[in-house]
Amino acid sequence: MLLFRGPHWDRGLSTEELQQAMNKVMAWFEGLAERGKIKGAQPLGGQGRVISGTEGRFVMDGPFTETKEAVGGYLILQANSLNEAVEIARSMPTLRYGISVEVRPILAECPIFQRHPELVQRVKDHVGEQLRVAVAA
Amino acid sequence: MNTTTKSDYLLLFRGNVWDRGLSPAQLQRVVSDWMAWFERLKAEGKCAGGHPLEDEGKVVSGKQRTVADGPFAESKEAIGGYFYLTVADENEAIEIAQQCPGLEYGAVVEVRPVADVCSVRQRAEEYSPAQLAGARA
Repeated sequence: MLLFRGPHWDRGLSTEELQQAMNKVMAWFEGLAERGKIKGAQPLGGQGRVISGTEGRFVMDGPFTETKEAVGGYLILQANSLNEAVEIARSMPTLRYGISVEVRPILAECPIFQRHPELVQRVKDHVGEQLRVAVAA
Repeated sequence: MNTTTKSDYLLLFRGNVWDRGLSPAQLQRVVSDWMAWFERLKAEGKCAGGHPLEDEGKVVSGKQRTVADGPFAESKEAIGGYFYLTVADENEAIEIAQQCPGLEYGAVVEVRPVADVCSVRQRAEEYSPAQLAGARA
């Protein structure tokens, strides 16, 4: 998964520069799509909420997308390796305007769950047992 | 108002070490609650998918397209995974985020609307629709 950070890279660009940059981004994206590299991709809206605390009691406006760290969109790549994903990220045209691209391998299982395999197995056994009981009943 | 309209939201789970310091019983509960939560949302047709992300990754940035190891380990801000929601409105997305079993242990959930058009293009079109017509073609 590529996470695009810093959604305000257009600040300070002239109209011409912006048009060129956007043409390049579109061409980049279409090139990847033609090569079958894109499993999914969406920009994210600036309006969002951040939920925290027990039972989600804190609901705050955010995140502040003005920051360079804010995630402005994502792209799920069908890449053969982390290296290939990094090379694709490096070819992103708006890097020169200050965005950064976080490249993260997608996992089948949560790393927190992986740290506790015996627990996960117990939970799965339990869920499986409940299913068997339900089917038997 | 068309009440059948559905909206897409991305839940970004932040914090990838909130399991530290939990007792085995707490861990077992949160693991089983999280799995049940995900399965229920999928069965209800409210979650189109989701994945955990590996703690290891790369960050690509700058004109030189520098590749750095990602500072993802042990961070409260690091994105540990995501759910893709299709729900009635933002309130429903927030309600679902508030059900996240990791919240009481310090996980934070970012709720972001999935946009049709990238915010940069939206701003660009507001500035000068005519001049940017070429970028859209």
